[in-house]
Amino acid sequence: MTHRDLTKVDGESEGEHVSRILIVEDDDHIRTALRLMFEGEGFVVDDAPTGEVGIALFNRMASDVAIVDIMLPGMSGFETCLSLRSASDLPIVIVSARDDTADVVLGLESGADDYVTKPFVPEELLARVRAHLRRRPEKSTGAFQLGLLHVIPDEGVVRQTDGTELHLTSTEFRLLTDLASNNGKALSREDLLERVWGYDYFGDSRLVDVHIRRLRMKIEPDPANPVFLVTVRGTGYKLVI
Amino acid sequence: MRRRSLRLRLLVTFGLGAFILSSLFASLTYLGVKRLLIENQQQTDLQQSYVNAAFVRSTLYSEPTELSNLLNSIHKATDSNVLVQTHHQWLARSNQASTLDVSLATIKTVGEGHATEQTLDAGGQIIFVVGVPIPSVETQVFEVFQLHNLERTLQTLALVLGLGALFTSIVGMSGGIWVTRRTVRPLEEVSFAAALIADGALTTRLQVNRADREVQQLTESFNQMVSQLVQRLERDARFASDVSHELRSPLTTLATTASVLQQHREDLSAAGQESLDLLVADLSIFQSLVDDLLEMSRSDAAVPLVREVISATELVNQSVRSAARRLGIDEPPVEIDEGVGDPMVLVDRRRFERVITNLIDNAHRYAEGAVALRIEVQGTQLALNVDDAGAGVPGDEHEQVFERFFRGRAAHDRGIARGTGLGLALVRDHVRAFGGSITVSESPEGGARFQILLPIVESEQP
Repeated sequence: MTHRDLTKVDGESEGEHVSRILIVEDDDHIRTALRLMFEGEGFVVDDAPTGEVGIALFNRMASDVAIVDIMLPGMSGFETCLSLRSASDLPIVIVSARDDTADVVLGLESGADDYVTKPFVPEELLARVRAHLRRRPEKSTGAFQLGLLHVIPDEGVVRQTDGTELHLTSTEFRLLTDLASNNGKALSREDLLERVWGYDYFGDSRLVDVHIRRLRMKIEPDPANPVFLVTVRGTGYKLVI
Repeated sequence: MRRRSLRLRLLVTFGLGAFILSSLFASLTYLGVKRLLIENQQQTDLQQSYVNAAFVRSTLYSEPTELSNLLNSIHKATDSNVLVQTHHQWLARSNQASTLDVSLATIKTVGEGHATEQTLDAGGQIIFVVGVPIPSVETQVFEVFQLHNLERTLQTLALVLGLGALFTSIVGMSGGIWVTRRTVRPLEEVSFAAALIADGALTTRLQVNRADREVQQLTESFNQMVSQLVQRLERDARFASDVSHELRSPLTTLATTASVLQQHREDLSAAGQESLDLLVADLSIFQSLVDDLLEMSRSDAAVPLVREVISATELVNQSVRSAARRLGIDEPPVEIDEGVGDPMVLVDRRRFERVITNLIDNAHRYAEGAVALRIEVQGTQLALNVDDAGAGVPGDEHEQVFERFFRGRAAHDRGIARGTGLGLALVRDHVRAFGGSITVSESPEGGARFQILLPIVESEQP
């Protein structure tokens, strides 16, 4: 942590809303450049060269959003994501040097909400991070029943029949409620990117597909043959309540 | 020039060779056997005729009136006709004997007191004439032997040899077929495999089993050649990919730092600001170039496609929407031909979006934007036309325009609006990976028409 970071934390205590961003990136130059950029945009930046340091920083600083590189020495970016996700619902954006579908899918399966590939356009990364922070307070629809699950958007929880809570990440929850609010009509991947992720142009449909799959694993009795979250060929997805 | 097929030539050579050889062999056998048989028979007949001549002589001495009876009984016993001449007059003959069978030359020779023999082959009927003089009574005895039995034997022999020759020809032909299979089949396999490899199926190899040594050698060297080629291709692809990958990190730093500088733009002098603008502009070209190179190295390194069956019209609409947003330009209209229905295509969604983005970007750069994207059905294929109203692509550049780093006259003329030179090459790579094709021609608006043809996997009529 640099001295400058500490002064920004002081600024926050004076009532100004400042977002804390955790940057886990092993390349010194990229990390420094990213820190400078985000600081220039008014973020408080915690930067870490490894996943281990990143998690330690997160535990102390309670970041609002994280950027994690996949190729890290020691603990991999995937493991770092899993670890961060198990502790918090914060939006995680993966920065990958490869955008082969397998890597992207693995990254998203590890709990990330989004990914960008190097070399990324810095403004795009900034816009994505902002979009994730902006959408945190969710639009709510009425509570509804999904098979044996009771979804209460106002409280942001999904209860099982025994009263215990089924944990969904904020992106998954938002995906579910946005589909629910469309009254059983299908939404295209583009629509979902816009509504759930808040992007209007850099979307990659794989982002939606992986999240849908992850959501199915949690809410469908048989994820291979979905009955609630169904694919509408040629269009997108819809939620059958 | 089109050469005759080796298969046909081998077959004809073997078949014809076997036929000629077996015919020759059969003919020689036939002629040899025929001669031998005839000589044998003649020997017997000759002896017979001397004995008979002796009978004739004793009959002439003892009881000449019995001569006719004797001749007939000889005929019965030996199936030969006997004619007797005295003083140039025919004295007697057996019942079926014909004076025509005995030639004048024979008569003359025998008349001069010399025994003679003559073989006549009259219309397939062989007769053997023996003339024996009996000088004491100025008489000549002629005996005409019909070689009936011999003829029958020779006919049978000819039949057997003919069948033999036919059989040998067939065996020869079969040998030809076998040899052809043995030699031509491997050649065909090699050519088939080479064609597959040329089409991009680089995992194609020849089977080494059950082959002859020469074929096995060919197979092994072929496979080795392919493996080395593939290795080389992979090495080249890996090199391009490695270079692009190595560029990622510094490029990311550069781009991010440039954006930090942008934040502090106001602190810079006028010269500093202008330099920064140049830096940012070229960085973005650099970034697109690395992006395209990476995309290309992925398609070179045969990173598997994520194929799915998608409604073509929906896909095109979505891709156009996202391409326009990505490029920051207005969406060109998508016109769907009547009767197109809802055809499905099997593509990688992300790569297809890339294809549309690059085509629209291309039209935007060189022709003030695409006029329309038009969808029609051509037989079993979906045709997607990206039309513009620009200057068009000159005929001699129709192929080159899809080559990597090709910059046509249009690009030179417009100067500043430069792309990476990889956009259309990527489009072609991707379209081919979907099993489709792309060509450029003239649009109805007089500009360029880029036409993508994709196989339709299934279709629903409207």
